[in-house]
Amino acid sequence: MKHEGYSAFVAALPDAPMAMPKQVLEPPKRFAWMFRFVFARLSRA
Amino acid sequence: MYLANLLRFMSIAGALLLSFWGGWLHLRYVGGASPDPFDVFRTVLFAVAVFWLAWGASIGFIGLLGRPMKARSASRGIPTGRTAILMPVYNEDTVATLARIAVMNRGLVALGAADRFHFVVLSDSTAADIAAREIVMFERLLREPLAMGRMFYRRRDKNLGRKAGNIEDFVTRAGGAYDYALVLDADSLMEPATIIEMACRMDDDATLGLLQSVPSIVGAQSLFGRCLQFGVAYLSPTFSRGVAAMQGREGPYWGHNAIIRITAFAGSCGLPVLSGRAPSGGHILSHDFVEGALLARDGWTVVLDPTLTGSYEEGPDNLIEFAKRDRRWCQGNLQHRRLLRAPGLRFWSRFNLLHGLMSYLTSPLWLLLLSANVTAAIYDAPPVDSAIEPDSVWLLISAVAAILLLPKLLVFLVGVFDGTNRQFGGNFATLRSLLAEIVLSTLLAPIMLLFQSRAVIQTVLGIDGGWPAAQRSGEVVSVQEAVTATWWMSLCGGAAIVIMLALTPDLFIWLAPVTVPSSLAPLLIALSSRAFASRWWFESPNEAPAGIVEQYRAFKADLSEKRPAFVEPTQPQIATQVAA
Repeated sequence: MKHEGYSAFVAALPDAPMAMPKQVLEPPKRFAWMFRFVFARLSRA
Repeated sequence: MYLANLLRFMSIAGALLLSFWGGWLHLRYVGGASPDPFDVFRTVLFAVAVFWLAWGASIGFIGLLGRPMKARSASRGIPTGRTAILMPVYNEDTVATLARIAVMNRGLVALGAADRFHFVVLSDSTAADIAAREIVMFERLLREPLAMGRMFYRRRDKNLGRKAGNIEDFVTRAGGAYDYALVLDADSLMEPATIIEMACRMDDDATLGLLQSVPSIVGAQSLFGRCLQFGVAYLSPTFSRGVAAMQGREGPYWGHNAIIRITAFAGSCGLPVLSGRAPSGGHILSHDFVEGALLARDGWTVVLDPTLTGSYEEGPDNLIEFAKRDRRWCQGNLQHRRLLRAPGLRFWSRFNLLHGLMSYLTSPLWLLLLSANVTAAIYDAPPVDSAIEPDSVWLLISAVAAILLLPKLLVFLVGVFDGTNRQFGGNFATLRSLLAEIVLSTLLAPIMLLFQSRAVIQTVLGIDGGWPAAQRSGEVVSVQEAVTATWWMSLCGGAAIVIMLALTPDLFIWLAPVTVPSSLAPLLIALSSRAFASRWWFESPNEAPAGIVEQYRAFKADLSEKRPAFVEPTQPQIATQVAA
């Protein structure tokens, strides 16, 4: 039996999908705009 | 939970006190009445290193305070929930994998629990010949009792997300068919009664998101492997009790030999790909710690239970393999610095992540401290107004030695009274083995310190360690191979000896325990990788445990005899599988 994404698939698994939402792990970069602004100024100077 | 919080507070406060006291003595000794910034820098390094040493030791002390917990009865009937036993494999020994699954299945069938447990081999193997062997292995597995409809095999085209991605692929495809998943490693082996017990525990407590057992090491052959096996068998029950006492509901997840509630896992543990490139960004390598933290974040109970016996794994049989595994773990743990401020994590989860991070960062820290002290001895005159008595220096040295050795010696003393030492050959044999373990681990510690320091530097410089396949069975490392892997250590150790003998001979003897083993690294690695069958040292109940391990060995030996007919696929078979 062939399935997309698999090289081999013997004895088919039960077809019972379950959603696995991606979690938020990285804290929001609240001051990223400030760093971008400062670096932009510095690179111009 | 109150007890856990109290123990956490006591362990952190105790480690902080010791670290401040040690730092204060250190500063007064190296800097006298007027320390310069370099003295302060050295003292900060020392205090941080002592904090983590002391905190590690406090786990042992807390474990010693708790009474050994009795294992729960395993005769609890059959669980109601359905469990998928997941065996992720990546270019592994197919005979060993087959033998492990077969004996666990036979045990579950014998206990009448077969219909509650399915086995799923999740292959990420990339080597064509091994992949072909896996198919042959699986077809043989289907001939095992009640295997049809209960055993599954699939191999992914791409190893997206490595092991975490492999399991996620299973959950998103077939997770809805099961209540629980028992996650194993390719070298894991568990008593069927333990598997049933763990599933029953999940049935009993609907808030239990994850239950982690403490695997013992079995199958070691070499001096290094048997020393590690003895150390884990003898010391880990105490240290695991300490971890368990402090965990509260936010216990650690070690990635295998653990059962998870699939709905909880699916809802909480979808790992994102971190921004940026590997090794700092990309897929999360040490996913287990993070998944445990995410379950706890969503209110699920995560428990480490040291009373669950009958949980086994194999360990590396030589230091090179150990360091290879450590390199992977180092990269994964350093990546956790990105997650320390992850929103919503519990305090203890953050502390666990920090501890994992520091367990690698302390190696370059010690190295820096040693180098700084040598530099100071060469360029800096010792303070004429040293503000402390020589007795205090000895007290400081004794305190650091006590942190390192006292938990082990106390475990021995407790073993004398509670009879544990009998399982390790009696009091005299246990003491002999424990002292040998202390000597060998002291000799190898500087080598690991250098390996870990290099791993940290490589990770910081952005060099990705990749995902080398584990070499599970013991193989002797030749001196030549050891030289290839550690010539730079010999060079560094030798150079340090020459510099110290020439410039600060007084310091040589103090640093000899570090410099001499480093310069002899290839020899020590090669010697410790040799088979070491002596009953005189490192006797432990894990040498030849009865039950599932014995059955596994017999099954594997039987298969290996039939290897040519069964395991080695013919070239046309390989060609067919590769083409498919």
